[in-house]
Amino acid sequence: MRRGGAAALSFVVFLMVWKLATVIGGYPEYILPAPEVVGERAWRAIGSGILWEHSAVTLLEIVLGFAVGAAGAVVTGIALGKSVLIERVLSPYIVAAQAVPILALAPLLDIWFGGGLLARVVICALIIFFPIAIATMVGIRSVDPLLTEMLRSLGATNPQRTRLLEIPSALPVIFGGLRVGVTLAVIGAVVAEWAGASLGLGVLINIANQGLFDTPLMFVALATLAIIGLAFYGLVVFVERGLLSH
Amino acid sequence: MSAHSTHGTGLSTGLGVTIDDVGVSFGARSGGVEALGGVNLEIAAGSFTAVIGPNGCGKSTLLRLVAGLLPPASGRVRVDGADPRPGDGRVGLAFQQPRLVPWRSTLDNVALPLELAGVPAAERRVRASEALDRVGLTAAASLRPRELSGGMAQRAAIARALIGDPPVLLLDEPFSALDALTRETFNDELQRLWMERPRTVVFVTHSVSEAVALADRVVVMTPRPGRVARIVDVDLPRPRPAELLGDPRAAELAAEVRAALSEGHALELRPWADQEGAA
Repeated sequence: MRRGGAAALSFVVFLMVWKLATVIGGYPEYILPAPEVVGERAWRAIGSGILWEHSAVTLLEIVLGFAVGAAGAVVTGIALGKSVLIERVLSPYIVAAQAVPILALAPLLDIWFGGGLLARVVICALIIFFPIAIATMVGIRSVDPLLTEMLRSLGATNPQRTRLLEIPSALPVIFGGLRVGVTLAVIGAVVAEWAGASLGLGVLINIANQGLFDTPLMFVALATLAIIGLAFYGLVVFVERGLLSH
Repeated sequence: MSAHSTHGTGLSTGLGVTIDDVGVSFGARSGGVEALGGVNLEIAAGSFTAVIGPNGCGKSTLLRLVAGLLPPASGRVRVDGADPRPGDGRVGLAFQQPRLVPWRSTLDNVALPLELAGVPAAERRVRASEALDRVGLTAAASLRPRELSGGMAQRAAIARALIGDPPVLLLDEPFSALDALTRETFNDELQRLWMERPRTVVFVTHSVSEAVALADRVVVMTPRPGRVARIVDVDLPRPRPAELLGDPRAAELAAEVRAALSEGHALELRPWADQEGAA
């Protein structure tokens, strides 16, 4: 309860600093709207159903993108961790792909993958791939060699070692990657929507910002993304605690 | 003298181990270190053999060879006439460290060899519980390794090595991390376990008194590259309680082992300590 209280208090302080900035600065609403203006705009956006309409699309993209990207990254990371050959062959491509700004590639990916939900899931999955794959590789490599030898002495096959030793011992590190990945998935969904979509919180940001000059609505969309990010991060932490409670 | 004739507890199980002119080097590409240089050893089925020698003489390497974890560079190792292969159920190995899997309960750690062999879960539980009973760990079945004392963890490791009832049991200084008193208790228990159910035991140790207290034969090794310097037959009756080590014959045998050690060890000035660290 004390932790909840601290969080609530810090949120109140945050709102007060925000409010104070608008009062002292005297900015117009389209530069920095006051918190109560954003709150009122959120209320209307919820009431009209526009916020949910866009959020639902973005949520779907995040869930699918994270599931596909994380699954692919963990499998790849296990292969990278277990085989020096695979790591030598693949890692230059993985690193190079990571260094290319996905923002620049997104419009092309959108065309390649047909411009629909699939394209957005692919973009989202690509953005989260790297941190999770690398974390998994590092985790697999950090397995205690004494335990590996113990399992070998019991005649464990390579797949048995992976399942019974390497993956469980890599889990804390893999979850570190998943925590980073899940917040990136939110960014990935928005970037993908910017490359071409008609619905989604990224689209709503664009409409509010460039179409309507409705800065309070843009803040509503940004706050919604922040809340979604916090919620998914919390979910990952929750699953992690459950799995690693030993 | 074979072990079971000494104490006569009925049927002996166990397989003979033959080490035939075995050599092992590490890092062969960059000059390399010769760990074992032509070891010959015949270990009788059902006998209790202690292997003793200075650090780096390849005692642990010898056990790895018999466990099939390491192929010999030259020569041949045979367990009952065939090459050892990990997981074939003929050899159990307990390491110097317990090496328990940290996220598994004691019971699941002990059951691990059965799980790898595809034994059904229900049978695994029953057999692992029995194995825990035998080493006095019944109450610790659901605890995690970090909740166990060093002695309990090592008991669990021995229970794991014994769960498949292997005819050959290899012990690599399993009690070296324990305090002297606990260690004595463990040696008594080990002897009891072996007398209840004889099998071939090869026991690596740094301690002369431990070797004499437990073994039928003490194999003394030379410093690197390891070779067999001398074999001392221990003709003390069993069971051997701790007091027996005050016996003149035991003292004589211990002196013989020490002499063999210092012969092969003349260049090293460090005195022999029972609690010495790992090879």
